[in-house]
Amino acid sequence: MLETEILRTTKIVESDRDTPRSAYVHIPFCRRRCYYCDFPVSVVGDRRNGTNFSAITEYVDILCQEIAITPQSHETLKTIFFGGGTPSLLSVPQLEQILATLNQYYGIASDAEISMEVDPGTFNREQIQGYRDLGVNRFSLGVQAFQDELLQRCGRSHSVKDIFTAIDLLRQIGVNNLSLDLISGLPEQTLAQWQFSLNSACDLSPEHLSCYDLVLEPVTAFGKQFQPGESPLPSDENAAQMYRMAEKTLTENGLEHYEISNYGRSGYQCRHNRIYWENRPYYGFGMGAASYWQNWRFTRPRTRREYYTWVENGAKIDASELSARDILLETLMLGLRLADGVKLEQFSPEVRRQIAIAIAPYSQKDWLVVLDSQNQSLPLPNQSTFSNNKILKLTDPEGFLFSNTVLTALFKQFDVDN
Amino acid sequence: MTDVSTSRIRNFCIIAHIDHGKSTLADRLLQVTGTVQQRQMKEQFLDSMDLERERGITIKLQAARMNYKAEDGEEYVLNLIDTPGHVDFSYEVSRSLIACEGALLVVDASQGVEAQTLANVYLALENDLEIIPVLNKIDLPGAEPEKVIAEVEEIIGLDCSGAILASAKEGIGIDEILESIVHLVPPPRDTIEEPLRALIFDSYYDPYRGVIIYFRVMDGKVKKGDRIRLMVSEKEYEIDELGILSPGQIPVDELHAGEVGYIAAAIKAVADARVGDTITLASDRAEEPLPGYAEAKPMVFCGLFPIDSAQYEELRDALQKLQLSDAALQYEPETSSAMGFGFRCGFLGLLHMEIVQERLEREYNLDLITTAPSVVYRVTTNSGESYEIDNPSQLVSPDKREKLEEPYIHLEIITPEEYVGTLMDLCQTSRGIFKDMRYFASKRTTLIYDMPLAEVVTDFFDRMKSRSRGYASMEYHLTGYRENKLVRLDILVNGDPVDSLATIVHKDKAYPMGRALTEKLKELIPRHQFKIPLQAAIGSKVIASEQIPALRKDVLAKCYGGDISRKKKLLQKQAKGKKRMKSIGTVDVPQEAFMAVLKLQQ
Repeated sequence: MLETEILRTTKIVESDRDTPRSAYVHIPFCRRRCYYCDFPVSVVGDRRNGTNFSAITEYVDILCQEIAITPQSHETLKTIFFGGGTPSLLSVPQLEQILATLNQYYGIASDAEISMEVDPGTFNREQIQGYRDLGVNRFSLGVQAFQDELLQRCGRSHSVKDIFTAIDLLRQIGVNNLSLDLISGLPEQTLAQWQFSLNSACDLSPEHLSCYDLVLEPVTAFGKQFQPGESPLPSDENAAQMYRMAEKTLTENGLEHYEISNYGRSGYQCRHNRIYWENRPYYGFGMGAASYWQNWRFTRPRTRREYYTWVENGAKIDASELSARDILLETLMLGLRLADGVKLEQFSPEVRRQIAIAIAPYSQKDWLVVLDSQNQSLPLPNQSTFSNNKILKLTDPEGFLFSNTVLTALFKQFDVDN
Repeated sequence: MTDVSTSRIRNFCIIAHIDHGKSTLADRLLQVTGTVQQRQMKEQFLDSMDLERERGITIKLQAARMNYKAEDGEEYVLNLIDTPGHVDFSYEVSRSLIACEGALLVVDASQGVEAQTLANVYLALENDLEIIPVLNKIDLPGAEPEKVIAEVEEIIGLDCSGAILASAKEGIGIDEILESIVHLVPPPRDTIEEPLRALIFDSYYDPYRGVIIYFRVMDGKVKKGDRIRLMVSEKEYEIDELGILSPGQIPVDELHAGEVGYIAAAIKAVADARVGDTITLASDRAEEPLPGYAEAKPMVFCGLFPIDSAQYEELRDALQKLQLSDAALQYEPETSSAMGFGFRCGFLGLLHMEIVQERLEREYNLDLITTAPSVVYRVTTNSGESYEIDNPSQLVSPDKREKLEEPYIHLEIITPEEYVGTLMDLCQTSRGIFKDMRYFASKRTTLIYDMPLAEVVTDFFDRMKSRSRGYASMEYHLTGYRENKLVRLDILVNGDPVDSLATIVHKDKAYPMGRALTEKLKELIPRHQFKIPLQAAIGSKVIASEQIPALRKDVLAKCYGGDISRKKKLLQKQAKGKKRMKSIGTVDVPQEAFMAVLKLQQ
């Protein structure tokens, strides 16, 4: 399909000319590397944290330097996300330094969502109180499982007891927007264990939950040891079942399944992450962080040394500009992760027609629905279905479970050679 | 320039194994004689197809005329006629050999004689060519010229007392080679007064000028504007352009006996001016064509199907165009119940097949599925009727046929002694019948086998190479047909027989083959939303089965920190892979699956 035809989908192109109102900040330090993790991480060992480790001080200085020299807009930030690594290895003054720098150069809106990933066993009351005082209003706790043997099996540096201690502490301080992370599909994990983890999480009444089906990354310890779907990993059948169990248990407990791997109570969806899925722009700061602005997607160097050199050389965004086709594919790939789906009106009639052709083979599968403006579902496949004011979305859980199959078909339809 | 007496013309070719330095030597000769200036030199001048340069082999031969002032003070014209270096093209080699009076036998001084070289030397000897042995790469540390000379004398029976020690790369021995050509290669016979007979030894298709014929004048003379007649195709043309190759085309007015050149005469397809045909004058015809003409007969057949059936017409046009320049390529429409519409194509051998397939994909931008190659079988039915089939799906059921015969080859392998055991084992498992074994003083051995061609039209060559660490070489030619206990092995995917996966195999090999094939297909065919049974069957009897489990989930749970580039790349890769698959019923089968039968042994 011609680039010019896709270009007529002007709305999606324009939306990306927005100014970012969101910033992702990467804090790469971890006590250990978990066996499933391939994120850009610097391992510091069990007894070091921000107050006694000069490497973290150095990193924060250079990070702030990057923030200072990145071209700024005049819009204040409405969401900030501290991800890692383990951001809770930062001391309160280090976090203060970063937030002050962001505030100085960009400004932080008074109602901004400021999220921070924290890991059990890495923080104390004073620290959390300090983070809260600095404006952090959403905490995401890396729980992963409620079985000590499973935590050990994936190289986590904490116990189940640490999880409860951490949550008590967060709640006592008054944290009222708490998210927990869980992983399904771990080696030797049983369906019963997973159900137990889901129930335990619900008993703690978090405002938000992320449930990730384990992804075997080739460079990780797990990736080197295991084959997907083969023992000791659960069979694909069981892993799919775990996904369905999460959907059932969590929605029954009042958490809305708003994205493939994310659940939230009403009003507690993660505003920052929604920016990604809605394919809107964001800043990225720190080693390995990704940013998206003005049709440029850029991932910073993934090791500290390379990252420092890059900042010293002026933090230049060296990426090729996304084509209209790229933006279209990214809009679909990200938007279909959301339960809300994608709005078809943003695409030209020809693009909508091509989408209809691509997904036609799945019309008997009960994976996709098209909703009209009154949220009435329309029959598939019918190309007239793909007129204006309609929404295309994957069904939950079956459509979500096969989202890659559907996306591959869409990518194939819009491939450059077609 | 054309006015040169036959006594001062020397026509020669270079016989060499791949990698023994033929192209480098040719380049060096062109350079030393000043035919090509240093700055115009691109490496390996004679191999003009990109594909050839990439693979380091010569597929299409060419020619070059050089002017050389010898030590005796005379000016000579030396015509180098290049020969292709692959067993698939042995007929073309034989035609270019008979266009010459002499040959340089180039042997790598560290490697020794190889099977293909040997076959070509015998061909040259049969045609009375003067052979000048050249030991190349003597500058290399591993060079053992004495040993290799002894080997050439022993195997070929060629007097090597005058063998030239050379290094084309370093420019050693080049003058000596040129002098030897002048003094040892006989001049062409002076038959200028006889009626024209010129031998076509190559041709190619030029989209603007039509077919360009490369030829050697054997008798008589030919002028620009002459009306020529091709004695086999019985077609007549007027010469638009006549010239010599130096190595670029330089037009001249006349060429006479002994000279080598090209003709453009608005000929529409190379099939009208085939290699081996004789050119004569329409007005003054020669009585007999030159001997030895043969039509290239395809030995290997496969199906070519567009992945996207909408590309059928494009594929037909592309084959049509390719055939204009490749007379050995045959094709006819084929309809497969599994693959839809495509073409059954015939090739000289596996390399020829690969070249055509690659040119179709590269030059014509087509996505193709190639089915496993098949040889030509001879079927005799109960009623005594006998016919040939080149497609396993055409085979009638066992109760309707009296016998089934397959082509056999005479195979010669030359190998260092230490690999004899493993290579004999390979030949044995490939249904080879041992004929002879000869040892040479140089610790190398020739193995001679009778073997079904079908066994060679697999990965036999690769296995021979890997078992001998690359040291063994082979040569073969067709000898005839033999009856064997052959059966058709059918493959069923999701319960349906897939005609393009069927193969004809020996009965004793059917079981292990069926098991290996279903296992391989299980690896190659991706999971679907449903279970896919895979079966191998002879007639209605299932002899092996596997099952591809159903896909239960296909989701990427995490898109971390907004870094979506990896997920996007993954989806792009999957989309590309999906485009390269053929839908058979409800099952998407990747290209490689159709060639799986060739990759079972490792």
